[in-house]
Amino acid sequence: MSASSLASASAGGKSAGAGGSPPAPSAPPASVSTLNYLVRLLLLGVINAGVLVFGVTLINDGNAFLGGTIILTTLLLSVVLLRNALKPMRWMVPSLALIALLVVYPMFYTLYVSFTNYSDGHRHTKNEALAMMAAEKFLPEGAVSYEWNVYRREGAAEDDASAYALLLTDEAGGSFFAAQNTALETVSAGDPPEAFSGYLLLSGGDRFRALQVIQAMQFGPADAPIGIQSRSAAGEFQQRWVFDAARDVLMDRETGAEYPADNAAGEFRAASGGTAPLGFWVPTGFENYSRLFTSPVLRGPLVQVFGWTVMFAFFSVVTSFALGLGMALVMNKPFPGIRIVRSLLIIPYAIPGMISILIWRGMLNLNVGVINTTLENLFGWAPPWSVDPAWAKIAIIMVNLWLTYPYFMLICSGALQAIPTSIYEAAEVDGATAWEKFWKLTLPLLLVAVGPLLVASFTYNFNNYLLIEAMFQGGPPIPGTSAPPVGYTDNLISYTFRYAFAAGGTRDYGFASAIAVVIFLIVGALTLFQFRFTKRLEEIGENV
Amino acid sequence: MSENTAAAVSLGTARRGGVSRSPSVGTIFRVVFILIALTFSLFPVVWIISAAFNPSGSMVNQTFIPQNVESLDELLTNFNRLFNDPTVPFWSWMFNSLAVSGITTVLTVAMAAVSAYSFSRFRFSGRRALLVTTLLIQVFPNILAMVAIYLMLLQIGRYIPFFALNTHGGLILVYLAGGMGVNVWLMKGFFDTVPRDIDESALVDGATHWQTFRLLIVPLVTPVLAVVSILVFVGTLNEFLLARIILTDREKWTLMVGLFNFVSAEFTNDWGVFAAGSLIAATPVVLLYISLQRYIVGGLTAGAVKG
Repeated sequence: MSASSLASASAGGKSAGAGGSPPAPSAPPASVSTLNYLVRLLLLGVINAGVLVFGVTLINDGNAFLGGTIILTTLLLSVVLLRNALKPMRWMVPSLALIALLVVYPMFYTLYVSFTNYSDGHRHTKNEALAMMAAEKFLPEGAVSYEWNVYRREGAAEDDASAYALLLTDEAGGSFFAAQNTALETVSAGDPPEAFSGYLLLSGGDRFRALQVIQAMQFGPADAPIGIQSRSAAGEFQQRWVFDAARDVLMDRETGAEYPADNAAGEFRAASGGTAPLGFWVPTGFENYSRLFTSPVLRGPLVQVFGWTVMFAFFSVVTSFALGLGMALVMNKPFPGIRIVRSLLIIPYAIPGMISILIWRGMLNLNVGVINTTLENLFGWAPPWSVDPAWAKIAIIMVNLWLTYPYFMLICSGALQAIPTSIYEAAEVDGATAWEKFWKLTLPLLLVAVGPLLVASFTYNFNNYLLIEAMFQGGPPIPGTSAPPVGYTDNLISYTFRYAFAAGGTRDYGFASAIAVVIFLIVGALTLFQFRFTKRLEEIGENV
Repeated sequence: MSENTAAAVSLGTARRGGVSRSPSVGTIFRVVFILIALTFSLFPVVWIISAAFNPSGSMVNQTFIPQNVESLDELLTNFNRLFNDPTVPFWSWMFNSLAVSGITTVLTVAMAAVSAYSFSRFRFSGRRALLVTTLLIQVFPNILAMVAIYLMLLQIGRYIPFFALNTHGGLILVYLAGGMGVNVWLMKGFFDTVPRDIDESALVDGATHWQTFRLLIVPLVTPVLAVVSILVFVGTLNEFLLARIILTDREKWTLMVGLFNFVSAEFTNDWGVFAAGSLIAATPVVLLYISLQRYIVGGLTAGAVKG
């Protein structure tokens, strides 16, 4: 319709004036817009420079993907901001930046991490690991070079570690004053002075007590610190881990051991089999995936978890849709107090999910929960919800029904109103029973409207972490699984969570990402199915 | 008219064909059905209210009507314990939740509205591709990328502490991005229903696009802004997984993370305190929902799904 005129009007800054709409007076003088352009250019230049430095730093530290993505995104958005042909997109720059960096990038990064051994013990890039290990210092034995005397700043408390300093005397008789994190200061030879630039010499018992505080401390310049070795001797700290880049070998100067880098496994491993304290993460190909699908320890639980994930999502949708539809039908005819009843019925849906689930968890407590104590009193028996796999699953589906059916009640109420009455009149003329009218008219027509939402609800419950975790934390545990323990009510997303973040277990980001990629594929397939339902993609072409 | 017919349909399903057609049977059935549903839906709610005011505070001793209550103060035992327990910074959690959700809501609505206006009103090359991409992206919930998001905040946090792990800044950033696609779509759909003639005439009169947007369009699309605000606010308030991963300090937890961890410890003994906290936290949200249910239903059918 009028789109074309708008399109031309918005196609460029100046053409908006020239292209027709506002006549001359509102068109800004060329010099102003040039200045405007220059200011924009300058600002963008500053921002881009900053981002470039940040990105390059990230790349240098080994996070090439993140650094690269940030630089690329900023450059693309700068083009959008500078090119007049792309002016309409300026409105979306913040949204697009967010989506690119925090939605799209994490998806690809998940894929990438799933092909690495990123995990506890392999949490850093090689450069980061080397830098962290290089900070570790040790005091070589035997390399005595100084006698020491200790000083404390006048008036400072005994336990104030920062108030101490050393006076060092080397074998040639030269004396140096060593405060903390400062260069050595040469002092005239001779006996140690009683006081030196605000510090007082400690001797006898004071010296002995001071030793407790300073024995593990470093004095003098930060890059070549000096520490106490014995009651009289001090020596220079040395870097413990030294990396020989040419040979790709990490050396432990304290023990003399050599740890050649194993770049395929992401470790520094000595011939004796020991490894350096830090490993690094490296691409490991399909290892996570082959573990996921072939390891017998994992496969059993994985099959169970996958089966339950699908079952849970399916039953959640079917039960809550059925009850929701039933309630919508019952509530479709007005009666006194209908508004109050409807408001009351949506309360479960309105309560924050976490709170509702925890309430249910309390009510289903085996020993003192109200449901089980009541059932015990009435029948002498109550379901062992949290310890029996089958009852745990029933409990979860029941709670989800409670949480979700008001949603479908609301949806179905709306959809029922939209079905034209004439259809039913025609059916009545043809002699259809109420039963037939429901199955042949109401339900099919309803499904057209509600179908996509059913698929969406399936997808949501496929990834329902909240309910699974808050209810039984995935329990009861499957025997034979440990570190992390996997439970009978764990679904794929909580299974992923356990591998990546479970307290106590090993954090295995690579493996967790591989599971996440599998979920991505499943959700993608579901979505394709949903789009078939809605034909939404085709609509984009037509209506807009 | 339509209501009568549909009711007949509903009775048909209920009667499963056989039973007599007298309306009283249908009415009785309806009443029973509604009463059962009300009991099912409201029993946990009533039970938690009762628990909150039971002075004993433990699950074992809870009675439906609090027993032996002699003063108002006794009735509020659980609330006093909740507010005075130093290991449960309840008000910090409330504040964190409200702040994170509030900021996320305001920023989401502002950014999505501007983007939606652009998608709805401008024609430019790459527009369709962008629209399809946002639609495709938003079908993958961002919790699927939780590992990558965590690692990304870890890496970025070394340089920009404001967005590091264990900061609300980082969490808000993740929430903002996660909901952007779907909300832009929701808004664009509504923006498209506002006739173009309105802004066109303004443009002819010399208004800039920004003026048109701010002075003409925004007032007209207030309903959809309200819907998105509610959905984003409640959705963010309820979010658990990402908040749990990102926030590690007890003081920084959101309410959902706090309640979950509180309950994990000594649930049956702290039942009353939990109930008191739940009551305080849930009441405003429930009132919000009930008073705005018409808007919310509109938003729900448009694509956002809670359950």
